[in-house]
Order: sequence, then C-alpha cells, then structure tokens
Amino acid sequence: MGTDILEVSINFAKMVAIFLLMVQLVPLLVWVERRGSALIQNRLGPNRVGPLGLTQLLADAVKFLTKEEFVPAKSHRFLFYAAPVVALLPAAVAFNAIPLSHPIQVEAFEWLGREWGPYTFLFQGYEIGIGIVFVLGVSSLAAYALLLAGWGSDNKYSLLGALRASAQMISYELALGLSIVGILLIYNTFSFSEMVAQQTGPLTFMFFGQETSIGFLPNWGIFFQPLGAILLLAAVFAETNRLPFDLPEAEAELVAGYHTEYGGIKMNMFYIGEYGHMLVASALMVTFYFGGYHIPFITPEQINEFFVSQGQGLTQASLLTALVLHLSFFAKILVFLWIFVWVRWTLPRFRYDQLMNLGWKTMLPWALANTVITAIIVLMMRSSWS
Amino acid sequence: MDLSSLMFYLLAFMAVFFGYFTIAVANPIFSALNLALTMITLAGIFFLLDAYFIAGVQLAVYAGAVMVLFVMVLMLFDLSGEVRAFSRGLMSGIVKVGSALLVMLLILLSVLGYYGERLEIGAPPSTAEVVQPTTQDLAILLFSRYLFAFELLGLLLLVVAVGVVAVSRIKGGTHARD
Repeated sequence: MGTDILEVSINFAKMVAIFLLMVQLVPLLVWVERRGSALIQNRLGPNRVGPLGLTQLLADAVKFLTKEEFVPAKSHRFLFYAAPVVALLPAAVAFNAIPLSHPIQVEAFEWLGREWGPYTFLFQGYEIGIGIVFVLGVSSLAAYALLLAGWGSDNKYSLLGALRASAQMISYELALGLSIVGILLIYNTFSFSEMVAQQTGPLTFMFFGQETSIGFLPNWGIFFQPLGAILLLAAVFAETNRLPFDLPEAEAELVAGYHTEYGGIKMNMFYIGEYGHMLVASALMVTFYFGGYHIPFITPEQINEFFVSQGQGLTQASLLTALVLHLSFFAKILVFLWIFVWVRWTLPRFRYDQLMNLGWKTMLPWALANTVITAIIVLMMRSSWS
Repeated sequence: MDLSSLMFYLLAFMAVFFGYFTIAVANPIFSALNLALTMITLAGIFFLLDAYFIAGVQLAVYAGAVMVLFVMVLMLFDLSGEVRAFSRGLMSGIVKVGSALLVMLLILLSVLGYYGERLEIGAPPSTAEVVQPTTQDLAILLFSRYLFAFELLGLLLLVVAVGVVAVSRIKGGTHARD
C-alpha cells in the first residue's frame, strides 16, 4: 500500500477516484446511447434540456433519486436491497485493476516541514500480478447480482429472467476465458502492465527463430490474435447483457427480466453495473489487442523527454506524460464504447436457442482451435531452427 | 499489528462467520450464498499469502462458477419443506450443534494424536530465504512432476460428465430418450 501516510492516502484516493470515474461516465454513456440511437434511426434524440441535451442527464438523475421507494411485499428485503450493490461492485473492483496510464514518478520533495518521497504511483487502483485472472474471477461474480435480484423479488418473471441471464453469463464465460488464452501465450504473462509494455514500437515477432519486424504497423496484439479479438468482443457483448445478447432484459417481448420489480435509483444501479462492465470490457480489449495506453511509434520516454526539454521539472513531466497517455487510453476506450452502442442499435436480438448454439457450438470450438493453433505456432516460431 | 495481519484477522473472522452461517441458516439459498462469501474471503486470504493464482482461480471457479450453479439450481426448487425440516425446534438444534461439536472434537483429538504433540510454530523465515513462487513455477510443476495426477483428474472429470449424461437420459428422467 505504501511506506508512509502520504503514499497510503494517495493510493486510497486513487481507488475512490477510479470508482467515481466509472460512475461518472455512466450518464455520459447514456447520453451517447440516446443520441447515437437517434443518429442511427434518423431521429433527433433528447435535445431540449441544455446544450445538445446534455443536462437531460441531470434531470434524469433527479428523477431517479426522487422516485417512489418500492419493495414487493413478499420479497426478501435484504437480498432485494443487496442485489443492486452486488451489481455495482464487480465492475468497480475489476476496473481498478487495469492500468489506465503510465506510472507517475514523483521526485523527493519537502512539504509541511518534512521530506517526502520519492514515490512511484501506478495509474490504476491496485496492481495485482495475475491481472487477467483476477479480473475474470471478479467479473464472474456479477452473476450473483442477477440471481439475487431475480430470486429476492419473489416474482416468477424476475426469477425466470435471472435464470435466463445467469445461464447466458455462465455459457459465455467459458468462451471468454478461452479466447484470452491465445494472447496470454503470446505475451507469456498474466500482468496487464507487462502486456502493455510489450506492445511498444513497430510490429516485431519471431519468424522461425529469427526476429522479424514490420515497420509500418504498431506492435499490437490484434495482429497476432485477430480471431481471439473477435471472439473476446463477441463474448463480452454477451457478458455485459447488451444487444444482440440482451435476453436477460428483452424488454420488448419478454417482461423486463431480473429487474422487473426494481425502480428508481436501485434500477439505476443495475445500469451503472452494466455500463461499468462495458467499460471493463473495452479496457480489456484495448489492453490486450490495441496497445493499452501507448501511442503508436511514440514511447513514454520520448514524451517524458519532450516535457523535460520544455522546461518542466521531472515530477511535472512524469505527470503530464501520464495524462497524455491516459487521454490516448481513453480515446481507444471510447471507440469501443461507441461500437457497443452502434451494435446495439444495428443488430436484432438472438433467439435463446440461437444464443446457446452460438456460445457452445460455434464460439467454444473456435476458441479451442485458436488456443491449440496458437500454442503450436508459438512453439514453432520461438524455437531456433538454425 | 501491521496492515497485513489486521487484514488476515478480518478475513479469517469473516470466513469463520460466513462458514458458521452456511450451516446455521435454515434456508438452503442463504446457506449457499454464505458459502459463496466464505469462498470469496478464502480467496482474500490466498491473496494475503501471495498465492495470487490460486486466489484468482478460487474466485473464478468456486465463487464464480460452481456456487453460481448451486444457487441457480436451488432457486428452481420449492424449498419450504427443507426450511421446515431444518428449523423444527430447539431440542433438535441443540442435538445437531452438539453432534457437530463432538465430531470436531474427535477430529482435533485424532490430529493431535497423529502428530503426537502440538506443532511448534517456528520463527518465520527471513525475507531473503522466501522465494516468491510464480504462476510459471506452478505450471511447470503441474506439467512435469504432477502430470500423471493432473491428467488422471481430467479423466475422472470426463467420466463424471459422461456418467451424468448417461444417468440423466435413463427412462423416466426429464431428458429421457423416449
């Protein structure tokens, strides 16, 4: 956690800040979703409240907070209240483990009459060596939120919706986990930071034991694992319960699923959880396949040197570098979040048997094949042939 | 007391607490949820012991997959009979708790008898001696020294899976062939 009181408190503040970042992005994403759907469906979307309809979100928040507090009479009150919180937690805990930018080096300085530092602050809530295993483990706990909500509501439609949803999540978790194995074999690590560090510079790989480099492409995972990237993207759509996999809700033809009995801010917390999962999924895609926070062909050291040459101190230069790379990371994440919105308003929903067939009979075999073939190729390419 | 030992006592207390309520609550669903919380706190203890991979697997497999399936299946049943059977009066409860304590006492005695004496807790090794085991070390051990046992376990799971399919398709079941 840290060696002295300042480092510990900053590390705690970081976790809270990243959680708030996730929560604060949700209204903006809702706005993007509404305006994006309007764009795709040739409508205008909400544009009356404030510039571009942006303060509509504020009005919505007030509406959610002031709605009637409702609990079904025969429900399990504790589970009914616990479910929205459980929905919120896994995404927040998982998002905290993903590096959002380059670590910040703080030089030793004097403050309040004593010496502090030097420190290194990671631009993430906490660094866990096994990165991806932790994120998979934590986000698999999200199924409890659906089950608790469905069973706790004491409503048959809720329960059926919850069962539908958790069966879907469990089925696609398998394809999700297997689609990642290929990229783990390539990077030879579980840690996000090491994966990101390996994606700098031009595309470099071992070709039958000889190091080969293709200058005009960045060294991103997507060029090594295109199939894995597609499978992961499809699986996270199912994990986040978004269209075309939004059987858990299916508000148009089935009753609204596990959150039938929820309203107001409790319902909103499920939405925050869902958007949080979208955020985690986008961050995973970027970290695995699109170079993490790196800008192609520019190393963090070069940015740091640029700021130092502009007359900034070492601490400020490091901070500015981290901010620039954080913007790069967020630009990449926003592309994926837009893809989530785009797909939602473009593709129709699967039928339940189609969903299960896709998961078990198409994606799982492809992910298995991807794993085996990647393992063979990695072994062949990395062993020396001379 | 430093932060990690504080965390250990907190997590250990929570594990025991949830473990107790796993067996003490009458409703099987709450029992399963308590068991899931026990798994999660155990994963936290593994994290404290620097066994990160085991902790992650504990979360993903036990808490995330196995217990979710348990909870899912339990929710489909009408459990009022079970709830009544498990909450039927003070005397039977006392008998149950008493017999559980008796079994625990027997296990404790047999363990102590087996080792002959209490285990002496030696001084912890200095940090230089402690080699941080990595996931890679675990994998190498799993695929070299313990390869046979590992593959045998895989075979056992396959047999179980095939057996379940066979049993579920015999006459009269939900998935019966005719």
